[in-house]
Amino acid sequence: MRNDNLRLTASADAGSIQMGMGSGKPARRVRRNLTVPLMMLVPFIVLFAAFVLYPVINSLYLSFTDYNAISQPRFTGIENYVALFQDPRFYKALGNTALFVVSVVVLNTVLGLTLAMVFGGQSLWDQIMRAVFFLPAVAGGIAILAVWKWILSGESYGILNAVRETFGLDPIVWLGTPSLAVTMLVVVAVWGGMGGTMILFVAGLRAIPTELYEAAAIDGATPSQRFWRITLPLLRPTMLYIVITGTIGAFQVFNEPYLLFGGVSSVGGLLDSALTLVTYLYDRGFGRFQLGYASAVAWVLFIIVFILTLINLRVGEPEDRASK
Amino acid sequence: MVGETRSPGLHSLTRLPFYLLALTVLFPYYWMVSSAFKPLGEITKAPPTLLVQNPTLTNFSNPLYDPGVSDQIQGLFQRYTGIGFAGFFLNSIFVTVFVTVVSLIVASAAGYVLAKHKFPGSRIVFLVIIGSMMIPWQVTIIPNFLTMRDLGWINTYWALLVPGLAKAFAVFFLIQSIRGVSDELIDAARIDGAGEVRIWWQIVLPLVRPALAAMAIFVSLGEWNNFLWPLLVVNDDAHATLPLALGRLAGALSNDPRAAGPIMAATLLASIPTLIFFLLFQRQFVAGITVGSLKG
Repeated sequence: MRNDNLRLTASADAGSIQMGMGSGKPARRVRRNLTVPLMMLVPFIVLFAAFVLYPVINSLYLSFTDYNAISQPRFTGIENYVALFQDPRFYKALGNTALFVVSVVVLNTVLGLTLAMVFGGQSLWDQIMRAVFFLPAVAGGIAILAVWKWILSGESYGILNAVRETFGLDPIVWLGTPSLAVTMLVVVAVWGGMGGTMILFVAGLRAIPTELYEAAAIDGATPSQRFWRITLPLLRPTMLYIVITGTIGAFQVFNEPYLLFGGVSSVGGLLDSALTLVTYLYDRGFGRFQLGYASAVAWVLFIIVFILTLINLRVGEPEDRASK
Repeated sequence: MVGETRSPGLHSLTRLPFYLLALTVLFPYYWMVSSAFKPLGEITKAPPTLLVQNPTLTNFSNPLYDPGVSDQIQGLFQRYTGIGFAGFFLNSIFVTVFVTVVSLIVASAAGYVLAKHKFPGSRIVFLVIIGSMMIPWQVTIIPNFLTMRDLGWINTYWALLVPGLAKAFAVFFLIQSIRGVSDELIDAARIDGAGEVRIWWQIVLPLVRPALAAMAIFVSLGEWNNFLWPLLVVNDDAHATLPLALGRLAGALSNDPRAAGPIMAATLLASIPTLIFFLLFQRQFVAGITVGSLKG
């Protein structure tokens, strides 16, 4: 468990992180006066306790109440959770989010690795191409989502529909067609995300010793053998990091569905076709001020992300570690 | 070399799909720039013009705007009173710089203590900080919103500045870097009479500058783009950050497609500072993105 936690974020190789705290040779330092060091720790601890630890625990408490932001919270036991698991909108949000997460993580990983292998070189041209794919990671955010909203306009002055019409196809209401909603979210997220993944893979590829490829070439390994036997296994830590952080990040998706699909009456687009867990949390918590119920949504999100992270770590565990 | 695994043929024809992919990455930016300079009649023309026919600045400011005339649009700068659109920039810059600087000072102090000092409970503190990184931060927004409300911080800068200051990831990352600083160096400074604060500020921090720079980019990028939290705690224009203002503007697009011109003008202006920043600090940007995936 201790190592799992560490590898979640550092993950490159477990060996690079020393726990230090429990080991080393600090014995001669124990007697030193700790007042000043502890004072230096205080600002962080206070902020961390007030804005991270307390909220996490408080939201667990609120999830067992009917708090509505006005009257005092009343303890209702697991009522919110019971209601949640019978709530069709929750299942809609969960399904949409799951589909979104799987598509985005797979596409970002595959495209990111492909781009890193194609444009990973040192030449100026490769550097320019990497900058192009990396651009959305830098100049992205809300500004570019507004542009996407404009590009995806349903009417015939939307550029995508103009392209369709040149090919003799009827215009599509891109953001108003329920069957397309999650696909649109995936397109925008992969458009913005593959460049960042590419950069991570470029760093991962550069860390692989050239000698391995040279030795393999001497032994007569084909390029595809080199890829499957050397590149991919050695990229495992990078891959694990990308899948875990990508999964956590994609589960929290809010900006894209909120901005592209949010309307006056609904946050989830037509028929909740683009409703995700966090937009649902927002809708319940801040649209209707059902803060107890929204806290239950938040904790379900937390538990799902937690379990998925553990599964990822287990699956990503190198074979030799499993036997230890 | 990275290209070790690719076949020579990949250089020419096989690369073509990836150049097309690159064009689709660039297209929204092109569309943003060209739409920003299209006059009202042209921006809602079907089919749209790929090249701007009559470039204009009316999307930014329309000198002929008259609320009584129906086929006119209000320029971006005319939409806001007071310091106007520039105010959102100032708010965003202020919040981003403040949160980045203060959170890194706080995190590096904590990181130094946890990396180089052992005390009862230090291990538990360390593990709690690491464990907290697994928590989706949305779990905290409802209680934090209530705290802001109870403190009377809604629609103030405090709500934008204070709750974001505890960056567990920064502490974790800096601990790893600070562990690399030699104990002998620190002990030597101590023998020379340097206090803990001075060791942290004058010896440790300069030595972990690359890690601090990467972390600064990582944190500031997140703050600059933060949308959900300002959306919850700010309802006015005076304290709105750039993402919040853009989000509200984009909402107007659903009601009136003619608003597209000023909105594209706004997104263009909002993208320029990030682009300049990226060109200036490209290497740190890459380091900021790769933070955590490789050893610190």
